[in-house]
Amino acid sequence: MKRIEVKLAVPIVAPLLDVIREQAAGLRDALAGPTGLPDADPELGESWGGELLEAQRSEIDALLGLFGEEFFREGAVSFDGDNAEVILRACAAVRLRLREHALKTLGDDTLETGELEISRLPRDVNRAFRCYVFLATLQEVIIQHLDESILGG
Amino acid sequence: MTKSATLPKEDVRTETALGGSWRVVVLNDPVNLMSYVVLVFRKVFGFDDSTARRRMLEVHEQGRSVVWRGLREKAEAYVFTLQQWHLTAVLEPDEAN
Repeated sequence: MKRIEVKLAVPIVAPLLDVIREQAAGLRDALAGPTGLPDADPELGESWGGELLEAQRSEIDALLGLFGEEFFREGAVSFDGDNAEVILRACAAVRLRLREHALKTLGDDTLETGELEISRLPRDVNRAFRCYVFLATLQEVIIQHLDESILGG
Repeated sequence: MTKSATLPKEDVRTETALGGSWRVVVLNDPVNLMSYVVLVFRKVFGFDDSTARRRMLEVHEQGRSVVWRGLREKAEAYVFTLQQWHLTAVLEPDEAN
């Protein structure tokens, strides 16, 4: 099984983990994006949302699990065919939540183009935006190196 | 004079809901990466890379793309899977069919 190890700078990434943890707490009880079906009966709607939420919680646990003792000791995180898919989804969920909360003031156009002066952002927004970019980078690394594992899984 | 053979309204609605053709539509969002959307389309629908990229660009440039058409039950399953991947996916009656 193909496996990649990514070395990260702990002093730079560690503060971003606080952002991820804050968003992760919110993602335990609320879905990251719009979901549901038109004209679904209440029972189906409840079951639909419940299953999505359960899957989302597992994804978030997997993402937080990447940054354990080994990360703080070695600065490394590993991806393979077993965790690539859930980590990709977890990154998407946290990024969507950041858009709705910590980065709401930036606006969608700015988020989509990424054209902004990070140094001028208020401290909390600055940290949230760096986290947003960091998670996108993790996604790009996984997609670049493990797409065949995900498509074959 | 023969009475109209039109079904009562309730029966017509039931027929539309369960049968007929439905379409799975993915809507644009400013968050998910283009490469991510391409991967999801390839994974979920088995599209080749070129088809997946074309559909992704439709979403990006036109705001939406119809990625699948067919029976409601399978369409629901696709919408669920796309939502599990955190894409904005909706189900619509396919009025063209």
